[in-house]
Amino acid sequence: MSAVQAHEPKPRMIVPQSLQGGLVSLAGLAAGAGIWELIGRHTQASSFAPFSETVKALWSITKSGELPRALESSLQLFGAGLGFALVIGFVVGLLLARIRLLRVGLEPYILMLYATPMFALIPFILSLFGFEFRAKVIVVTLFGVWPILINTLEGARSVSADLLEVARSYRSTEAKLWRHVIVPYTLPYTMTGVRQAIARSLVGMLASEYLLAATGLGNLILTYTNRFDTARVLAAVLVITVLATILMAIGRAIENYFARWKAGV
Amino acid sequence: MSTEGVRIRIAGVGKEFGALRVFQNIDLEIGEREIVSIVGPSGCGKTTLLRCIDGLVKPTEGEIRIDGTAVTGPPRGVAVVFQHFGLFPWKTVYENVAYGLRLAKAPKEHIRESVPRHIELVGLKGFEKAYPYQLSGGMQQRTGLARALATDPHVLLMDEPFASIDAQTREILQFELLRIWESRPMSMVFVTHSIEEAVLMGDRVVVLRGRPSSVHEVIETGLPRPRTRDVLSSPRFNEVRDHVWSRLMHEAEQAERELQEVR
Amino acid sequence: MTSVPHAVAYPRPWRLGAGTQRTLIRIGTGVLLLVLWEVLVRWLAPPFVARPVTVARALPHVLANHVPAGTPTFWGSVEATVIAVFEGLAIGVTGGALVGLTMGRLRTADRLLRFYVSAFFAMPIIALVPVMTLWFGYSNTVRLAIVSLGAFLPVCLNVYDGTRSVPSSFVEVAQSYHARWWNVWFGIALPSSLPYLLAGFRLAVGRVLVGAVVAEYIVNLKGLGSMIVFDSRTFHQPQMMVAVLVLAVLGVAINGVADLATRRFLPWYRRSE
Repeated sequence: MSAVQAHEPKPRMIVPQSLQGGLVSLAGLAAGAGIWELIGRHTQASSFAPFSETVKALWSITKSGELPRALESSLQLFGAGLGFALVIGFVVGLLLARIRLLRVGLEPYILMLYATPMFALIPFILSLFGFEFRAKVIVVTLFGVWPILINTLEGARSVSADLLEVARSYRSTEAKLWRHVIVPYTLPYTMTGVRQAIARSLVGMLASEYLLAATGLGNLILTYTNRFDTARVLAAVLVITVLATILMAIGRAIENYFARWKAGV
Repeated sequence: MSTEGVRIRIAGVGKEFGALRVFQNIDLEIGEREIVSIVGPSGCGKTTLLRCIDGLVKPTEGEIRIDGTAVTGPPRGVAVVFQHFGLFPWKTVYENVAYGLRLAKAPKEHIRESVPRHIELVGLKGFEKAYPYQLSGGMQQRTGLARALATDPHVLLMDEPFASIDAQTREILQFELLRIWESRPMSMVFVTHSIEEAVLMGDRVVVLRGRPSSVHEVIETGLPRPRTRDVLSSPRFNEVRDHVWSRLMHEAEQAERELQEVR
Repeated sequence: MTSVPHAVAYPRPWRLGAGTQRTLIRIGTGVLLLVLWEVLVRWLAPPFVARPVTVARALPHVLANHVPAGTPTFWGSVEATVIAVFEGLAIGVTGGALVGLTMGRLRTADRLLRFYVSAFFAMPIIALVPVMTLWFGYSNTVRLAIVSLGAFLPVCLNVYDGTRSVPSSFVEVAQSYHARWWNVWFGIALPSSLPYLLAGFRLAVGRVLVGAVVAEYIVNLKGLGSMIVFDSRTFHQPQMMVAVLVLAVLGVAINGVADLATRRFLPWYRRSE
């Protein structure tokens, strides 16, 4: 193959082009805000607030402390739930990978639970654990744990026989085998599930705030909706969107970090 | 140069990618029933030159004419066989071979007649319904060849077609291609990095050299057609091969020396 | 060297046939889980909480449409949810594939829309359910919108990724055979990103089920979601569990059918990767 494989020429000038691209993206955002504003102005205030009103509402609920309090409460719930999901998913995934009986026995049930809309189980959880923080954390964890667990299981199962053989030939104990081989090898795989876990945990967070004790951002949305205060509803939705985008970006960064590591294995 | 009319006329063609000048001042004429091989060190732009002939890449200077018409995009009647095969994994052998005809909106009866004929021609009868993943590399390139031939081209551009195929299969395919060409001679440009292949296929061998590269020498192989396996052991074949080899070797040594000077 | 390492690498199979053994283990674990559930709930939870025994007892009644007067029948609810799910999948997958394809092939479309698509993909769609009741009233439209959006986003993003990673060799072949832009879009880019589309479809099925149930739940539309709310509020948990079970089966079934269809109609898929 000739070295010059340039039938798809690279962009000549990178800076102007990405600047131009940035401008197009900005124009897209501006157009979106403009359309939002227009729709808002030509519909009833009780159904759709214009962009400007939404921004004003956002400012007022920030100043009043409503939004910061809700955000804090929601993030606590999200963090606790996701944290448990990570730990439980990782540990159970490893156990399933190493203990064949458990894996063969539980795999179909795990896949089934993964496919079940967790939302439908909330009433059941309510009856077992009540509707306060503890129950809500359980809901968030139940939403977020599956991608972590399944990716960990897959990763731990792909630890190559060669690596295990090396460890064994150095007379590694089972505990050391875990510490030096299995855990570090599996972690990057676990992290490929982190973005999905974040997305699902966010859904779990809102779901539990809707259906169990109303708190946080979910509570804001429900309360404002009941008051037909669309400007504030949209402000809250906007906050959730931005929050979700940031969290996903963090998730992507984590995935990329571990992916680079994985590529070196 | 054969006595027949000229099919492809390459005049003063050069190509730059940004600051990198790949080749320049290429002048070449290829006859209607002629096979011209192009060899050169890797990076000399022989594959890019081929893409220029097919209009996939625009030369920065000069002009290429096929049958007197300047090439601006992929011309009618020109088909390429790619090193990467370029088979679509979601299509069967039949559908892959039919691809060019379908895009050209050929009549259905013509497709129904032509596709099986060309599948048979390349020796793939019985594999019409197979998917590319079910075929060996050699069979995949047979499919690629059938796809190109099915469009009834009068120019066939071969882009290192057998480079990623194992040696034994490659030799079989080379002679089959020669056999097919004998039955329907056309103008063929054969880009390869294998000197043996270049000499075996070509009426002439074009050696690209230099940086940016240009035509260093055009060698008439003077080997008889139809070519059979006997050609490989003929004195003339060895003579031409050694000649081309020395041309390229010289270049490689020079490049090596330049590198050392830089260091 | 001893044979110890091999004992690690290749666990010695039992003498029983591997398939039978596997099935037995699975059934055994299933029974064990059910017993555990039964015992724990009996021991620790209030009597109305669903247990395997009560769920099993409720199952035939629910399936036979024996429900309290004045509430939608079970099969009626299933039908409502299933229709909404398929409508949403149809709209969302078609729209998602088209928009994803456009974004993947047109740089300007990509730049204009990328931000919106990724932001909507990241956010929990259920955040929009309450505000949609203000827009569309307490109507089926809310569910349809949520469900379509839920299917649209993962498919769109996946097809976008897929069409951006179309091997340039395919495009080159198409061009050399005089392909026009629509040949490249629909003849090359779309089929070559089918694996991505299918991955997006799997995500979409999950999101669509959740979306449908949440919309039914909050907007109180006829369907499995509202049935779950009603049964749980009236302390009919075993009946509720039947609905949950049906949802799980639905999710598994849709993906199963998609797998079968893939194997049947796209035999080249997976092996050619």
